[in-house]
Amino acid sequence: MSENQASAVRYEEATKRYGKDAEPAVDRLTLEVPAGEICVLVGPSGCGKTTAMRMVNRTVEITEGDVLIGERSVRDREPAQLRREIGYVIQQIGLFPHRTVSENIGAVPQLLGWKKERIRERSAELLELIGLDPELGDRYPAQLSGGQQQRVGVARALAADPLVMLMDEPFGAIDPISRERLQNEFLRLQAEIRKTVLFVTHDIDEAIKMGDRIAVMRQGGRVEQYATPAELLMTPATEFVEDFVGADRALKRLALMRVSDIDLWEAPWATPGQPTAEVRAKLAAPDVEVPYPLLVDGERRPLGWLSERDLGADTVPEQPDSPLGPVLERDDVMRDALADLLQGEAQYAPVVDHEGRIAGVLSVEIISEFLGSPEAKSDDQPAVERPHE
Amino acid sequence: MSDLLSLAAAGEVGGDFFKERSSDTLPCQAKPDEVFCFDWARENIDRFGTPTAQHFELVVISVLLGFAVAFALALLAHRRSWLQAPLLATTGVLYTIPSLAFFFLLLPVTGIGKDTAIIALAVYTLQIIYRNTMLGLDNVPSSAKEAAQGMGYTDRQILWRIELPLAIPEIVAGLRIAVVSTVAIATLAVFIGGGGLGTQIYGGGNLTFPTSIFISLAIVVAMALAFEAVLLAVQRLTTPWRKARAT
Amino acid sequence: MAESESHVSPLQLPFASFGGAIEFIFTPQSSNVTGGKEVGGFDQAMELALKQLEVTALALALALVIALPLGLYLGHRGRGEFFAVGLGNAGRAIPELALIALVAALIGVGLVTVTPALAVLGIPPILTNAYVGIRQVDRASVDAARGMGMSELAIIRRVELPLAVPTVMGGIRGATIAIVATATIAPLAGVVTLGDFIINASIYGEDGRLAGAILVALLALALEGLLALLQRRLTSDGLKLKTV
Repeated sequence: MSENQASAVRYEEATKRYGKDAEPAVDRLTLEVPAGEICVLVGPSGCGKTTAMRMVNRTVEITEGDVLIGERSVRDREPAQLRREIGYVIQQIGLFPHRTVSENIGAVPQLLGWKKERIRERSAELLELIGLDPELGDRYPAQLSGGQQQRVGVARALAADPLVMLMDEPFGAIDPISRERLQNEFLRLQAEIRKTVLFVTHDIDEAIKMGDRIAVMRQGGRVEQYATPAELLMTPATEFVEDFVGADRALKRLALMRVSDIDLWEAPWATPGQPTAEVRAKLAAPDVEVPYPLLVDGERRPLGWLSERDLGADTVPEQPDSPLGPVLERDDVMRDALADLLQGEAQYAPVVDHEGRIAGVLSVEIISEFLGSPEAKSDDQPAVERPHE
Repeated sequence: MSDLLSLAAAGEVGGDFFKERSSDTLPCQAKPDEVFCFDWARENIDRFGTPTAQHFELVVISVLLGFAVAFALALLAHRRSWLQAPLLATTGVLYTIPSLAFFFLLLPVTGIGKDTAIIALAVYTLQIIYRNTMLGLDNVPSSAKEAAQGMGYTDRQILWRIELPLAIPEIVAGLRIAVVSTVAIATLAVFIGGGGLGTQIYGGGNLTFPTSIFISLAIVVAMALAFEAVLLAVQRLTTPWRKARAT
Repeated sequence: MAESESHVSPLQLPFASFGGAIEFIFTPQSSNVTGGKEVGGFDQAMELALKQLEVTALALALALVIALPLGLYLGHRGRGEFFAVGLGNAGRAIPELALIALVAALIGVGLVTVTPALAVLGIPPILTNAYVGIRQVDRASVDAARGMGMSELAIIRRVELPLAVPTVMGGIRGATIAIVATATIAPLAGVVTLGDFIINASIYGEDGRLAGAILVALLALALEGLLALLQRRLTSDGLKLKTV
């Protein structure tokens, strides 16, 4: 697979004004999207997010300021040339009805003058990549379902190995079930190919789910906050962001869950007297997300957190360096658990079962990830008193 | 008479010929209300050869000319939308003027003969071809155009590789109508000395007789059907994606 | 006529001809071509024009009576598409000259036989367009009306027909064009219309022939203009936002 190209995108005071004295649709936008990341532009309708995205491939011409891909201004070249290096996916998909799926995918390579053989290979490669039966290559778009069409749209955008991908509400016209699937698959794809993606949506849940970074925009393309999903949820910068993210909604959902409803992180624990080498090995295990080990007693009840200094010794000390902080229970209502975390100013906390033994670690990250996922939106489980298991 | 007798003796003239002549009536074709004279038809079928060829030529050249002009106008109006209404109105006016009158309006400028007929017939096709071409172009899904533009197609490429191919069904539909109409109207070319099958319906200032008229009619209809079939096949061949339907 | 043409430049020739034709329309003329008889003039032109209008109107009325209700009904019920559309295609293939000639030869001459022949040419466009016009009315509007309790007839009258006006009128206008055009050669069957000037140039001369062409063109355009106005009147304001 030759997916190796991705460039950073930088907006430098980019402005779009329709008409000489009109209010700018996008007002001096300055933003940097690191290469290989998905940056979601999210905001209410008309805030300028789509306009901002389209300034990158000049389907909207920049009035003032600049947009750079890599270190090169997008104004450097003819628009048509520029666009052939940028993947473009729109909401209505826009497949060419008179071309087969393969021909659609091979459209930009053909514009670039690739040899027929290479185009064919590439189309086949991409069909596989997006998870479609290679047989579908000879069908026409009208013969595909909406979800399949949108996948072809994504494949088409990737065909010429672009530096940047622009996606304008790409999953907006699909039914919710297919949309979940497509989102997950795109994330899986992105994990492999790591393109720089500018993703526009009005759906905050989608933004949280898809984005490595999110730019919450308001009127005029003004960025209220540009941060990771977790930061956005935990520390909204302004009232606008808070409203938009819908803190209430998130909390409401959390009130419907228990800590046990969610997959916790593994807790690397250590007992006093244990050789620190063993503990280090545990920390180095692949699935471990927590940077420090937990000191537990003989019954595996948490006592505190071990620090780097603790691990400097040969064996694990009796007393932990850092205090325990909030300890959560499996039966805790999630909202309360989150409240405890925030109040204790902790990023993560140990979770114990009803006998006090360590069951895992809960973090704010886990909670925010969960909020963007499908399960969060499914059935409403009331927080009833359940007998302890 | 003696010539005929000797011809009869030589077997060159059929016995029926005499029977008719001697039954105090004229040959079938001279009898005004004889609907169809098969004998005459059989014997004289070759005289329809040249008029048919002329007719064919008239139709093909007129439609090609009309198509060339109307198509060019449509492409022009596609980019400059202010042209659309005036062009539609103009071609409409030209379509309204009866072809026979149009022949003679052109006469002072282009004279008698085939050329005048061709120009008038071509003008008659302008409206339908122009209109259908515009319709075809307008019906191209805008999402496809938007995607194409964003992907890096130039305007020209979008027109020739995306819009026109997708407009083919409408364009060919317009052509079919134009051709069929022209086949019928070309019979009037006789009035301006343009030849064609009209000569077998109205020759030398008089209507001919029913058998001749029927044969001309039949050939005209057959020609129209043949053109229809060919154009339909062309349409099918150039639009393979239309057969495919969502599963 | 011959003398004046010899010292007129080729470019001026058309203008000279048109000049002569205009004269023909308004004042009776006589020349060696017509054998000394007086032809042309306003009265005669009027007479023939009215005759053409008469036969056109009669034929159109007949065609409307037959084709319009049938087309509307079939469209409303959604049946007979092959027939309705096929007839439209077939109708275009009928050579008017053959039709008139056959009528003259086999059936008879005069208004009584020519009118139905012309009507035959007008039926296909009216039928097809009435059918298509009704069919392409948004089904949702019809369903809503039905759900409101409108009778079938009321639905046709108050929902489908108004929305179908542009298409239906288009068919009527097409029929008129076809009928007027064929009425031009009606003299071949004994109905002496303006076409006589054109067909019988031996009687009327070249000026007469051109005059005939001009008058026929004007007549056709005037009729179309009237129908276009009528269409605009009948089209509800909401529909007028769409062109053509």
